Amino acid sequence: MIKSVLIFNQLGKPRLIKFYEQIGTTQQQEILREIHALVAKRPDTQCNFLEGCQSMGSSSSDSSHRIIYRHYATLYFVFVVDSSESELGILDLIQVFVEALDRVFENVCELDLIFHFDEIHYILMEVVEAGMVIETNLTEISRAVNEAKQQIKPASEHSRL
Amino acid sequence: MFEKSLTDLIQGLRANKRNEADYIQKSLEEIQSEVQQSDMYCKSTAIDKLNYLHMLGYDTNWANFNAVEVMASPRFGEKRKGYLAAAQSFHQETDVLMLATNLIRKDLASSNAMEVSVALDGLAQVATPELATDLFDDVAAVLGHSRPFIRKKALVCLYRLVLKHPEGLHALAPQLRERLDDPDPSVVSSAVSVICELARTNPHNYLPLAPRLYQLMNSSTNNWMLIKIVKLFASLTPIEPRLAKKLHGPLSQLICSTSAMSLLYECIHTAVVGDIIGVPLPVTDSVGREIDFAELCARKLVLFYESADHNLRYVGLVTLAQLQARRPELVVNQYETVLKCLDDPDLSIRMRALSVISGMATRRTLDRTVKRLMSQLILSNTIRLQPVASLPSVGTTEYSCKYNGDAADSDLIALATDATGASLVSARGSIVQSRQLTAAGPGPADSPEYRLLVVEAIVDMCTRQSYANLSNFEWYVAVLVDLVYSAGVDVGQLLSEKLLDVTVRVRQVREFSVRLMRQMLSDSQLASRAISGSSAAKVLCTAAYILGEYCSLLPANSEDIALLLPKCLDKLDGEQQATFIQAAIKAYTNWLRDVAGYWSTEIWELVRAVTASTMSQLSDLLLAKTDDNALSGNSAVAELPLQVSSRLRHFVEITKAVSVATSNPSESAPQLCLELHELFTAYELNPVSVAAQGKVPQPDGLDLDSPIGGPIPDTEHIMFPPPPPVSSEPRQRASQSGSGRKQRRGQKNEPFYLDGGDDVRHSHSLAELPDVDDIPVVQLDLGGQGSENATKTRSKKKKTRTKDGAAKRERRRRVQTPSPPLAPVDIAGDEDMPDVSAPLPQPQSQQTSPAQQ
Repeated sequence: MIKSVLIFNQLGKPRLIKFYEQIGTTQQQEILREIHALVAKRPDTQCNFLEGCQSMGSSSSDSSHRIIYRHYATLYFVFVVDSSESELGILDLIQVFVEALDRVFENVCELDLIFHFDEIHYILMEVVEAGMVIETNLTEISRAVNEAKQQIKPASEHSRL
Repeated sequence: MFEKSLTDLIQGLRANKRNEADYIQKSLEEIQSEVQQSDMYCKSTAIDKLNYLHMLGYDTNWANFNAVEVMASPRFGEKRKGYLAAAQSFHQETDVLMLATNLIRKDLASSNAMEVSVALDGLAQVATPELATDLFDDVAAVLGHSRPFIRKKALVCLYRLVLKHPEGLHALAPQLRERLDDPDPSVVSSAVSVICELARTNPHNYLPLAPRLYQLMNSSTNNWMLIKIVKLFASLTPIEPRLAKKLHGPLSQLICSTSAMSLLYECIHTAVVGDIIGVPLPVTDSVGREIDFAELCARKLVLFYESADHNLRYVGLVTLAQLQARRPELVVNQYETVLKCLDDPDLSIRMRALSVISGMATRRTLDRTVKRLMSQLILSNTIRLQPVASLPSVGTTEYSCKYNGDAADSDLIALATDATGASLVSARGSIVQSRQLTAAGPGPADSPEYRLLVVEAIVDMCTRQSYANLSNFEWYVAVLVDLVYSAGVDVGQLLSEKLLDVTVRVRQVREFSVRLMRQMLSDSQLASRAISGSSAAKVLCTAAYILGEYCSLLPANSEDIALLLPKCLDKLDGEQQATFIQAAIKAYTNWLRDVAGYWSTEIWELVRAVTASTMSQLSDLLLAKTDDNALSGNSAVAELPLQVSSRLRHFVEITKAVSVATSNPSESAPQLCLELHELFTAYELNPVSVAAQGKVPQPDGLDLDSPIGGPIPDTEHIMFPPPPPVSSEPRQRASQSGSGRKQRRGQKNEPFYLDGGDDVRHSHSLAELPDVDDIPVVQLDLGGQGSENATKTRSKKKKTRTKDGAAKRERRRRVQTPSPPLAPVDIAGDEDMPDVSAPLPQPQSQQTSPAQQ
């Protein structure tokens, strides 16, 4: 199971935080800070896996959770998973997620994430639901996202009037 | 009012980087007013902004109700925002969730697939046990939706509901089975994921699905699903060994043919962890030769941990560790490669390599491994930046702990290869020539977790199987002492235990050990670090013990006594001080005996001098606390700990006796000097194994079950009247006769008598003690009946005895008396429900009916 998905920039500013376990707001921020501290000091030549972090250890019965991250330009995409997920598989999944973002936003950059943070959430919802991966096929993901978009456009036009 | 949209908020935040907190405060106020407005669009924008602020760490729970309002919006866009807010900030105790039940139900039944999907996702995240119970069937109904897009989400949602509502599991399981046959691959994939999660806790239930999963494995091309299935089989094989044989073929097929590294890795991992390599069937590899499956896995694994890609190296090492645990012979020839990985700048890889290497330790490899690890510990910033004194070397042919932290790297390496054998690390020969350290920045070896692991690994490798790997115990002791200096983390307890262990159990190394301990104790730098609780203190304490216990092995030295009463003694805690003093006594008596062997006038003077100086030291120690008290005027400072002061006094008496005995110069040594040491050396103490006590046979005729002496007379009957006989409680004690009951009660009133436990509630003698409210003063008015009911409530409800409970009992008792007929009967909200098995006291019913009417 995926325990959490975090996207933050090099300074640690969050662009998306999603926890699939019930965790309070202050603790969420703590975890974010801790993971940022762990991840930011690793050069790109090192591997993308980290053994767990203290703040998240106590909540699950299976305490062997791992931090799997990828560094794209100025952003870190971090997935915190437990031992039922394959590490290399999750790395591929991060890649799929980023490609999905790319398709939806056309050459996605950090500004897109900043201003459309809710859409990032909805795209993530198509890939991961409640900690389980439901879709890994890019075409399907982008199709679902576009379908949702079509529903909103007429609605927002209507309410703006 | 012009309300800000999400974009405006974000832009405003970016514009106001300096006073972000103020800007957010202002925005929060605006949002507060916006959510109160009736316009749904306004509300939803406000919720959207709140979602953003939640990400920055601001608590948004005050708007929970508004979030639910937005969830109810007919427009999809707004609804989505509400659900997102719910997923982000609701938690199990959020009360507004109950309002959402019907709303979610409506959404689940909606014809708009988007709404259904949003509802499913939101529900999956916020499910509480109540919501789960209520909505389980609705979600199960959605499983049959025409769109696969919805079906896959419904599956996951159902799984999450089952986590909160376990009874739903037997409804879920057949559905999962069906969904495995679903035409859409994503739905099948979701079903497989859910099964994987469920099987982690209870693999047996999902064993019947194995054939279908096997089919899927052979036919599918979806890598993600294949990975999941392979992982699932890894947890099923341990409980069903025949599965291993069946999987042998397809797995080896996959391993040889797949191009996806992730899948290949998972197959190898499963083969190792699920013990499929144990199946003794040969496999044809890619060129058609037949080889052993385990060998095939090992060969493929090499691709991973020798790869240039760090990720592959990491996972390769993970599986290598697993393989090493099961088939060490396959891994043993990879020693060099793993040793190289140990020096990788990546901390994660190092830790993995460490675990593999420590499993590979044998007599031959132990030396190199430990040397390499020690060099890592020493040549790191943690040590280089520490000022450490240099110790005198014990001798050129002996192993020494010469250490000089200030030397430049080149000097260090030169020292290390010093031909006279004064080596940096007390190992045979020289330290491995490590690479020239480039930057002086903190490296991976400076991470405290890593250092701790290294120390533990070194100790573990050496002590495994009662030192099976060690050929030279002196080397081991020297390594331990070096670790004391170079560990940099708090491992004092571990090291002192190991030092003690090896010194006590291995006779041959005791002399060497004592010598090193003496060196350690005379190191002033180490002593300065020894404050109570620090790791240096623990080690020094053990060193003192060893020195004291085995000082007879070395030529006696009066300086030992001074060593064992160091200036830093008062900074240690009670136990450690006592150890030092005891060791000092032992050293003193030992020295006396030694010196008595060649008595002369100079010796006599020497003895007197040493005795006098020791006495003065001791009296200093004894008076030290009182001096402090006088100076600081603080009489609350504790006295010397008991064990310390008692030992100090022993020592003082001993020295007094010696000075009396040597008050006159004599021809030969006084008898006292010769014999004092027997206080400590009359019997040799051997280490006792943990299981020794269990092996002592019980003496015949030992009866631990019958009580010693008769029952203690029931003293409470003198103070309080005994509770009336409890014959009105038919369901309790039904099987016991009256006399037996009395005797048992007599025994039960003994406070230390442990009952067999048959009537737990009554075995606690406190249950029969009247509580404060039922002091006889009150009881006398009520007569027998009142006290009887009070007993019942008391014994049943002692747990809920609170002030309110007492007040309620008071009230009820008052109700039961004939006098105030208009007192209300409070049944509602009363924790103490009347005991329904007891006959209702007649007067009560007669009273309440007129009261109620």
